Amino acid sequence: MIVPLTHVLIFASILFSLGLVCVLIWRANVIMLLIGIEIMLNGAMLVFVGGSNHWGMADGQIFALIIMAMTSAEVSLALAMVVYLHRRKKTVNVDEFRELKD
Amino acid sequence: LKTALVLILLLPLLGGIFNILLGRMLSRRVVESTACAVVWGSFVASLIAAGAYSGPAVVEIGAWFSSFNLKVPITLYLDPLSLSLCLMITFVCGLIHLYSIGYMREDPGHVRFFALLNLFVWAMLVLVLAENLLLLYMGWEGVGFCSYALIGFWYREAKNASAGRKAFIVTRIGDVGLGIAIVWMFQLFDTLSITRLNQMGHLVTLGVITALGLLLLLGAMGKSAQAPLMVWLPDAMAGPTPVSAQIHAATMVTAGVYLLMRMFPLIGVSTVVCAAIAVTGALTAFYGATCAIVERDLKRILAYSTISQIGYMMLAVGSGAITAATFHLIMHAFFKALLFLGAGCVITAMHHEQDIFRMDRLRHLLPGVFWPFLAGALCLVGMPPTGGFFSKDTILAAVWAKGGMLYGALYMVGMFTVFLTAVYTFRMMFIVFGDPLAPIPLKQDRLHVQLKPLPRIMKIILVPLALLSLVGGIFNIPPYLGNGLLDSFLAPLNAAGGSLSHTAELVLQGIAVIAATSGIGVAWWYHGLERREVRRARADQPQKGINAFLQAGWYVDGLYRLLFIHPYRRLSAILWQRVDEGVIDDSLDRMAAGFGRTGQFLGRWGRGRVSVYMLSLAGGATLLIAWFAWEVL
Repeated sequence: MIVPLTHVLIFASILFSLGLVCVLIWRANVIMLLIGIEIMLNGAMLVFVGGSNHWGMADGQIFALIIMAMTSAEVSLALAMVVYLHRRKKTVNVDEFRELKD
Repeated sequence: LKTALVLILLLPLLGGIFNILLGRMLSRRVVESTACAVVWGSFVASLIAAGAYSGPAVVEIGAWFSSFNLKVPITLYLDPLSLSLCLMITFVCGLIHLYSIGYMREDPGHVRFFALLNLFVWAMLVLVLAENLLLLYMGWEGVGFCSYALIGFWYREAKNASAGRKAFIVTRIGDVGLGIAIVWMFQLFDTLSITRLNQMGHLVTLGVITALGLLLLLGAMGKSAQAPLMVWLPDAMAGPTPVSAQIHAATMVTAGVYLLMRMFPLIGVSTVVCAAIAVTGALTAFYGATCAIVERDLKRILAYSTISQIGYMMLAVGSGAITAATFHLIMHAFFKALLFLGAGCVITAMHHEQDIFRMDRLRHLLPGVFWPFLAGALCLVGMPPTGGFFSKDTILAAVWAKGGMLYGALYMVGMFTVFLTAVYTFRMMFIVFGDPLAPIPLKQDRLHVQLKPLPRIMKIILVPLALLSLVGGIFNIPPYLGNGLLDSFLAPLNAAGGSLSHTAELVLQGIAVIAATSGIGVAWWYHGLERREVRRARADQPQKGINAFLQAGWYVDGLYRLLFIHPYRRLSAILWQRVDEGVIDDSLDRMAAGFGRTGQFLGRWGRGRVSVYMLSLAGGATLLIAWFAWEVL
């Protein structure tokens, strides 16, 4: 392994913060919010893989695979919900959906 | 030899793939000629293999897969049985391919049709040539798939599509038996090679062999349409007629018989299995013949007759007479293909009319079809000196030679079925083609439709098949006339059975001829001369009593509906309405409603904006992480 663990961790945290910023800033579009979540998940996955490589255990990689499977399930559900929300309000702006309060 | 064998298999496969991939872009002529050329090429390769044949040979072509102790190479086995079947399959299928050119002349789906026919030939050849059971099983399922796709070829009509499904599902019941048998044999003997399995029978107890034999018999019942799984074959006639001829008469349905012949050295030791095979065969032969007597759909008559004739082959296998079974299998392929193709000509000429009571005295209008059809009918009935006479007689002689109460009774059933066969065959002949003793030529205008002219190729194909049916007996003449070709060729396969003196055999043949002739007489008595008009009028009224029973195929379909389909539907209704909708859906709905209410309650404390939640989530997480970091560092 040429890439040391610290580099992996730094790269992963950059990815994670990018995703987080995307989630927090981009309110006009639910889909961008989902993409932000994906990027955050990928950052987390990278930490798992890097850690598993560093300690020479397969567990982290297996966990990364599980995350992938979970993510694909989550995305398919979330996209279906986006389509449904769009049909209801003709918009994908996050702040338009506030039925929980009003 | 190896090249020839590879070519036999590869040519139809390549033809099929070629037509699937490129067929749509090419002209009809190219598709047709490729499809026919590959099958005839395969026939030539079989001839070469026959020329180079010197003794049973196992040819390994390549590795297929292997893991742990399971090794399944692609191995082919050429012995007298597979060689003679190969020649028959490629020859008959080649003729049928040529015929299909005429038959499918106006059909837009010809690419799919020819591709499937080619794939079918390939799968059937794999089945026949396979040396291990897994390869055989691949061919077995391959022919099943092609048969399914071709029965439902005109899938736009729901009736045809469901006939295809029925065939697929019913044969699948039998395949379960075969699948279990294969896995079990591997577990017992640690090999799937047929040649080795056949030598290992003494390693296990007789009970195990019996169970294996019965499982294989179940597989054969499904594929070969034997009682009680014969219900799919009459419905399979929904497909195009060449398909009925190729798959459901000449080749595929005999796969079950072939399987039993192939495994006979293993399972033949068990007398129970032999008796079960023989009883199944005799019962089915009888069943098919009785149903055919009252059936009025031309193709379904032939389908019932196929069921009945395959019953004879099973009877022969059960009596240990492998030669007789092979001989009858080959003869049956010739004459039944001929009858089906002839029926296809009649049906095309009548604008796809299949009801025999709508046809009348076609002898004068379709002489080119009548004479070959008559040859096929005589062969089916078993009149000397046609091939069917010799083949059926060898079977009955073998059953008689077996002796004992059971086989004596089976011989009686078989002989009675010869009589029934003659009755239904000539009932069909007299109704469709007219009575030879009342030569009133039927004018074209007395028929309710204008006959459609037939493509010449369709009539020409009938001639070689008719000749083969008539003189096919020379392949295996009975011992009192000399030595049979097939008999000596297949000799190593036969189980030791009783042999008959020449006088006894002559007497048995005499009885068979008397039975057949009297059958023709009965058919003429009922449907000849002026009585035919009475019958014709009566046929249009609803049938009663025994006729209705036979016409519905002994109500076997209804019985299965009552026994299996109905309870299954009830069970599924319960599972659907009570379990799925009642328990699963309801509980989920309640849970969702509960979550919704909780959310409404909790939502009172928030502002209801997703972005604020996100921000507070991120802020909270930051605080937590910062606190952790403070503690740790």
